[in-house]
Amino acid sequence: MNIVLARIDDRLIHGQVATVWSKVTGCQRIIVCDDEVAKDTIRATLLKQVAPAGIKSHVVDLDKAIRVYENPKYENEKCLLLFTNPTSVLYLVEHGVDIKSVNIGGMSFKEGKHQITGAVSVDDKDIESFKKLNEKGIELEIRKVDTDKKVMLMDVLK
Amino acid sequence: MFGIIVGTHGIFAQELLKSCEMICGEQKNVRAVTLIPGEGPDDVVKKYEAAIAELDCDGGVLFLNDLFGGSPYNAACRLVIGNENYGIVTGVNLPMLIEMCSAQMMDDGSDIKALMEKAVEAGKNGTQTFHASQISDDEEEDL
Repeated sequence: MNIVLARIDDRLIHGQVATVWSKVTGCQRIIVCDDEVAKDTIRATLLKQVAPAGIKSHVVDLDKAIRVYENPKYENEKCLLLFTNPTSVLYLVEHGVDIKSVNIGGMSFKEGKHQITGAVSVDDKDIESFKKLNEKGIELEIRKVDTDKKVMLMDVLK
Repeated sequence: MFGIIVGTHGIFAQELLKSCEMICGEQKNVRAVTLIPGEGPDDVVKKYEAAIAELDCDGGVLFLNDLFGGSPYNAACRLVIGNENYGIVTGVNLPMLIEMCSAQMMDDGSDIKALMEKAVEAGKNGTQTFHASQISDDEEEDL
């Protein structure tokens, strides 16, 4: 699998992803990798409806995502991976998925989280996972769309 | 680069541009021109001219109007008739504007007629329907 973008955005497929990222990355598939969303059949069904023209969208749990990554059938497929949180990304990385950079597009504010930029809020678990990803040398950059200037997440966490 | 002018009845143009920027980020070579109640086509022509003076229009000007035959459209016609690098597309919607902003960013040297065609296509494709009966369980689409 050719991972053209790994993005954390808890809105998953929405305007910025459907119109901007799908185009600039030239992805053939958008794969939502999340255990909770994969269990939520209504949400999963609706996500499959909103794939931009010519792009297939899928919702899989994390173990399935790893199996798909390892499947030689998709070796040359350009895939955009979407996550709702960094812990899911870490799980894939720890199971051998080669992700070199993570784009953080949006993590909404919820009770128990604190806001680090306009679009990104994190809790202790998120911070822990981001630190582990950073220790592995993975770039963690905050951008809503590709023309935004990259803001390094570790800089704003400090 | 070509310039984009969104011209509408009321502040629709301004707000549409703001909505577009929520998705595509700040747009520097796009202007919103509004027709306020009490104004006529002459006023709008002046606003268009002022907008064109501010924009990079080497590749032409694309007017995106709300209503075919309306005053913002009629005013744009007066300018377009005298310049073959100008063009108008009506029925502006968010998908159309986003598509044109991304075409502007790519700046691939398309001529105004090709851009107009692209805008029409994006506007049409942006109109979709959804109803519970449309959900298909095509499992072969699964990974």
